[in-house]
This record gives sequence, structure tokens and C-alpha cells, in this order.
Amino acid sequence: MEHPRQADTVRGWLDRRYHINSLIEFLRHKEVPLGSHSMAWYFLGGATLFFFLIQVLTGALLLMYYQPGEATAYESIRFLTTKVPFGWLMRSMHSWSAHLMIVSLVLHMFSTMMLKAYRPPRELTWVTGYVLFALTLGFGFSGYLLPWNKLSYFATAVGTNLVKSVPLIGGWSLQVLRGGSDVTINTLYRFFAIHVVILPLSFVLLVSLHLLFVQRQGMAAPLGAKAAPRGMKFFPGFALRDVLLWLACLMVLLVLSVFLPYGPGIPGLDWELGQKADPFAPAYPGIKPEWYFLWEYQLLKEFPPRLFGMEGPQVCLLLITFLLCLWAIIPWLDRRAYRDQPSPGFSDFGWGAILFLTFLTLKAWDIGASGPPEAPGSVRGIAWTCAWWTLAAGAVIVAVRWLVYGDHWFFLSGAALLHIALHGLAGISYLVAGIFALVAAAIAMAAFYYSRRDPRSGTGGVA
Amino acid sequence: MQEVKPTTRREFLNVLLGASVAGWLASVVYPIVRYLKPLPQTGPTGPVRLTREEISKLEQNHFVIVPVSGQRVIVLESPARELLAFSAVCTHEGCTVTYEPRQSILWCPCHDGRFDLNGRVLSGPPPRPLPRFIASRQPDGGVIVSVERA
Repeated sequence: MEHPRQADTVRGWLDRRYHINSLIEFLRHKEVPLGSHSMAWYFLGGATLFFFLIQVLTGALLLMYYQPGEATAYESIRFLTTKVPFGWLMRSMHSWSAHLMIVSLVLHMFSTMMLKAYRPPRELTWVTGYVLFALTLGFGFSGYLLPWNKLSYFATAVGTNLVKSVPLIGGWSLQVLRGGSDVTINTLYRFFAIHVVILPLSFVLLVSLHLLFVQRQGMAAPLGAKAAPRGMKFFPGFALRDVLLWLACLMVLLVLSVFLPYGPGIPGLDWELGQKADPFAPAYPGIKPEWYFLWEYQLLKEFPPRLFGMEGPQVCLLLITFLLCLWAIIPWLDRRAYRDQPSPGFSDFGWGAILFLTFLTLKAWDIGASGPPEAPGSVRGIAWTCAWWTLAAGAVIVAVRWLVYGDHWFFLSGAALLHIALHGLAGISYLVAGIFALVAAAIAMAAFYYSRRDPRSGTGGVA
Repeated sequence: MQEVKPTTRREFLNVLLGASVAGWLASVVYPIVRYLKPLPQTGPTGPVRLTREEISKLEQNHFVIVPVSGQRVIVLESPARELLAFSAVCTHEGCTVTYEPRQSILWCPCHDGRFDLNGRVLSGPPPRPLPRFIASRQPDGGVIVSVERA
């Protein structure tokens, strides 16, 4: 109902046409639930959105000079970074914000996982977020080829080749993705279309849906909180904090872009233009994908040529697909969170995943190499050093969870640490060590549940 | 005997409607799928004679990578001065291999796959040997490469 004093105002004019008062009332009463956990976790989605907006803005500016084509793609990027005033800054901001967007998205996903914010009725919020994460990785992969330099050429050749392992449609999908059987300039045209049209449109649609779900259902209250926990008004309290964080993100982005315009020079986090792509030049040592694909790159190296009658890369892809599917359906697997009860097993699964990814990423970075990374002595040294680093990080995580948060469920993170120790310290092959660690975890879990079972009902008492 | 229930007009129309929707979807999806599938590669096929520049690269680096019938082929000179040709596409994940004359191996730096000078896998994750092709030196010093299996 329109207030009499609003009749002649802009708001009144708008309300008569679009009924905006009901929306304003909704926003006025919107609250963010507060609980025992830090509020910081609620801001990560907003930070991700901020970096996406920077991507759109800088991407649009880069498009004004970038020309896809065999004789123009590399040259236009070189012109942009060397001749165009502040061209280097636009490219640097685009690259840095892409990496920061993935960092905030990974943190957002893991915090959602650990806080069990995916529990009903928010399963689809998790799924849309998961697809958004996949689209973001797609942005990174498709954008990597656009400068048409040597590094991007080989990274794309390896990355797209994985598609070939998909049963039945693998060969056809590879042809469609590459625009031919090999990575050629046709691949660049396709990746350009995917990067600047298909992915942004899909992302905007999906992020709108994701935000709609968050608005309709509100942010997830802490696990176990009874009805109507303490809340903070979204306007102005939460929104102003959000703006402050966005300003901080902008400052960090600008500092990184200005002082490290081509990245810190770490493999997978380096966007020096280098040499132009040449399909008839051999690959060279040190070719690595972006840091968020390094774990897959390393896992591919760990698989033998043939396993279970299939080619190694096929089995590896099957394992990755299985793990990613498992991650997507967590809201339906976690039955304790479904009942609003703590589910330490799933938190431990999250920590186990972090340790698994950390070890593979450190190994892919060749940390601990003494001499060429491919030399036998170096391979052993890399596994040894990375194992110690990951075990140390794992020990800190376990100690904090045990002493500070009172967790007692460490089967999966323990299996991940055992796997790392067997492989890195005892020198057992990565896959054999993994199977051994999984079997050990399964036996330990069975023994634990057997010892805690209720003899009258015959069911386990702890989950 | 069980009585056969006659099909109602509504059920018949639902079947027709379903078939029309399927037909409409197929008429939209098929052209898109065909549009996305790349055209067959065109270009010269059959044996290729290396250019003077390629031969110079071969002499200087002991190997050169050339296009033959739309494929990347690595032509190399073994320590016994024998001309050998292999597919330059690593059978693991499709990187381009290189020749290491000091170790007499073909090496893929992407995932550290190693092949001997018969194309067989020595170490690393490649699941299959490199296909070996035919390379021959002509009396005039030229080099002919073809993608027929050696």
C-alpha cells in the first residue's frame, strides 16, 4: 500500500507501476544469521562475484584490441601489452582477477562444505555453485589459449586430449572442441567463442539463479541452531561490510597487477607472453597448466600406461569423474547434516580432499627437485620433500581440529596422510600406496563402528 | 480374458504432441551438431619432400618436425646416421615429442614419457608406442617422408 507522502515521489511513481515497496520491505527485513562460526565465510561469494565483474569489465576492454587469428592473436596481445597505454595493466588485472576469483571460489566452496550450508533446503544452491565453479575453470582453460603462445598451445593440446578418453563420444567431442583432429587456429576460434560468449552468458544465467536461491532461502544458519538465531540486518550492516571487502579486494588486485604484471613467475601462475605458438615445434621442459589444474596434471603422471585392461589416462579420467560426481552430490549423501546434526565424516572428507590436492599440486611444482625434475634422483627428492610439507600441514590441521574444535573423526584425512607418507617417505608407488591407505581406513572405520555398536539394536552409535 | 482399454482421443493427441516435440528438437539439434563437426581436413596427402630449410634444421638439430598428410611427423637422424620418422604426437596426452640425441631417445617433456628409436615406450605414462613412418634419403640429398607404417 502506497504511503500518502510517497504519491509524488520517484519511489511512489515507481511503486505504482512496479510495486517496488514490497521489494524494499523485503530487503529492509532481510537478515544474515549469526552463530558460533566466523561471519567471514559469508563474504566469499560476494568477493567471487566482485572478481567476476572485474573479469567482465577488463575482458570487454581487452576485446577492443584483441584479434583472433593465426597472424593476429599473438601479435595483438604483444601490441596491447607493449604499445597501448595501460594495455599491460588491463591484461594483468584480467589475469590476476581470474586467479583471485578461483581462490575465493575455492574458499567459498570449502567453507560451504565445512559449515554444511548445503543441507536441505539448499541442495540446489550447492549444485548451481558447483556448476559455476566448473564454468569458472572453463573460463580459465579457454582463456589460456587466446594469446596463442607456445605454453598455451601445449597446455591446450594436453587439456583437450583428455576428452578423447570419454567412452563412445570422446573422439567426436575432441573434434568438436578442437575444430579438427589437432590444436590449430580453428581451436582458437572455438575457444574465443566459448570464452567471450557461451561461458559469460551461461555464467550470468546461473549466477542469477544461484543468487535467487540465496535470496529466497536466506543464508544458511549455523548447524544445529534452533529457530530464529541472532541476525544482522543485511542493509546497511552486512551490505556495507561487503562493500568494504570489495574495496579491499580492489586494492589487493591493483597492487598485484601493478607490481607483478606478468604473475609471480611460478609455473601455473605466470602469463609472460613468451614465444608464438608453433605446431611444428617440440614441447619443452617445464610446461605446466594453470595452478588449479596442476593436481590433475600430476595425477595423470602417476598412472601407469595400462591399468585394468584400459589405458592409464582413461582410468585416471574415470577416477577424477567419480570424485567430482561424489563432490556434486554431497548434499544427498550427508544424511546427518540432512537431520541438522554434525557430520564429522563429511568434514573429514573435505580435509582429506584438501590434503590430496595439496600433495599433488606441490609435486607438480617440483618442490624439492635437485637438478632436472625428470632425473630419477629428483623424482624421489620431490616426492620426499612434498610429503614432508603436506604431512606437516596435515599434522597442524589435525591438531587444530582435535584441540580447538574437539573433532575425533580422522579416518579419511588420516588415509590421505598415510597415502602421502607411504608414497613420499617409503617410496611405494602412488597408486599402490593409495589402495593400501584406503583399505587401512576402511578397516579402521569398520573396527571403530563395530566397537561402538549398540548390542541391543545391532546398529552403530556414532557417525 | 483381459479387456483391452481403447486409446482415448487425449492419449492419442499426447502421443502426437510428444512426437512433434521430439521432431522439433531433432530439427534444432541435428543442424547444430553437424555445424560443429569440423570439415574433413584438406591439403596435400602422400609422401612429402622436405624443404631446404627443413633439411638444414635436421642437420643442425638432428631432428625436424614436419606436416605430412595432416599429421605432425618427427624426422630424425640416429647416431648410426639412419633416417627415422615417427608420429610426433605423444600417445599419452598429445604433446609434441622431441629427440634427445645424447640419450638416443624420443622424449615428451609434458609428462616425461620416453621412447626408444623403434618408438617403443621406455618409461613414463604413454600407453602405446609411437607409430613409425617411412623416411628415405634420395640420391640428390633430398629427404622423402610418408605416413605409411614402416
